[in-house]
Amino acid sequence: MNPGDTMKFNSAWSVWLAVPLIAMSVAACSKTNVSRIDPGSVTDLSGRWNDTDSRLVAAELIDQSLNGGWLDRYADANGGAAPPVIVGEFRNRSSEHIPVRTFVGDLENAFVNSGAVTLVAGGNERDEVRDEREDQQYNARAGTRAGLGQELGARYMLQGELQSIEDEETSRGVVGSRSEKIVFYQVDARMVDLESNVVVWAGQHKIKKYIERPPLGL
Amino acid sequence: MDERMKMFSAALLVGALTLSGGCAKKHVNEQPIIEQGDRVDDGSYAVAEARDRVEERQRQAADQRDIEAEALATCEGDVCDAVVRDEVWLGMNETQVLAATGTTEAAWSIRRSGGSTVMTPRDVGMMPSDAVGAVTMVQLAGGAVSRYGYQESQGVRLVSTPDQATTEGRAAEMAEALLREGDELAAAGRLDAALDRYDRASILAPDDPLIDYRVASVLDKALRPLEALIQYELFLHRLDLERIEARGEASARLAEAIALAQQRIVILERSR
Repeated sequence: MNPGDTMKFNSAWSVWLAVPLIAMSVAACSKTNVSRIDPGSVTDLSGRWNDTDSRLVAAELIDQSLNGGWLDRYADANGGAAPPVIVGEFRNRSSEHIPVRTFVGDLENAFVNSGAVTLVAGGNERDEVRDEREDQQYNARAGTRAGLGQELGARYMLQGELQSIEDEETSRGVVGSRSEKIVFYQVDARMVDLESNVVVWAGQHKIKKYIERPPLGL
Repeated sequence: MDERMKMFSAALLVGALTLSGGCAKKHVNEQPIIEQGDRVDDGSYAVAEARDRVEERQRQAADQRDIEAEALATCEGDVCDAVVRDEVWLGMNETQVLAATGTTEAAWSIRRSGGSTVMTPRDVGMMPSDAVGAVTMVQLAGGAVSRYGYQESQGVRLVSTPDQATTEGRAAEMAEALLREGDELAAAGRLDAALDRYDRASILAPDDPLIDYRVASVLDKALRPLEALIQYELFLHRLDLERIEARGEASARLAEAIALAQQRIVILERSR
């Protein structure tokens, strides 16, 4: 191998070594950008159910339930008292995985913070409290034990469900495929009298989304 | 000829355009109502408004406390006890009824005519209630409660005498209503449902042998002879036969039941 060949060989090797090294160093320098943004802002990325939809539903149900005449009618018939309500099941009957507890939690917060509704714990939360109360009967000092049989019986149960309808079309063109999708969500909530099964309040919110994906991301 | 060809070509072109227009996809041209970067209400305004209304209601609840104070200041004996127990009672005045039910006049539709007053719930869906149950109506004569009614599962239960207001009186009234309902169900051929009502009535009125007779007859009709036989025998066993005199309507009814029960026992025993 003559010196000219050696130089050629070395320069070729240096190119092969340099390319991955540069790529690695670029990758090492690139940072993940995280910013805290306003939770009230509308940020749609994929078009699926997101925090904005949850907040829209919560705001609407809060407004409808707290301004429904049922609260005044209950107060009139019960010396101004707030109705004791237990939150039952909110069923997700849509095709997506939707965490319904986000807007149900917002609704519960609004009930408690407004003072218009007396919220009674239900489900797992209630079981946990009962376990603790039971434990106190054996382990807590007499004067500090939570009494048994003193729970407040709810008069109403809040129930609801979420449903969705989808309509989608994809058209293939020269520059790629273009898809259009309509997603319709409907959330229904009902306040049911536990004694008579009368529905004293019914609330609803509908969201219709148009999701368009142009060809080649144009 | 050329002219014809031109016209034919033009017609073909228009037709093709129409067809392609018909097949073209329908685009959605609705304007968005919420855009990326907008802000969404979190319902805090509705919560604040509701809180204001609750505060207003709490101010009104002070009126309720005044009602309770006045009710207790003007009561005597049983009426006082009933106000404390939150229970409507015969002899109460209007204020004491409001105190016992924890309501203000807003919850009632009140009609006054001469010395008589009738209070009925303003909203049937949200009836005022006392410690016993939902109160469907209160009638006052001369300013004192003379009659009142409760919404029970078997219908309205009226209280117009002190006996009916006691626990025993209430149980007797409810048993009576259950028996009435059971009789109707038995007559309609719904024997299982009738048995259920008679069973419930027997808990409320355990000393009434006629309930056993009713149970026996329904079991007999339901073709359950062994159970019917036991019930007929129980019915006869529980009767103090020597004390029965076939005088008066009630006794005559009982005597007839005894005769029928004995007759059925003979038949059922023979068929075993």
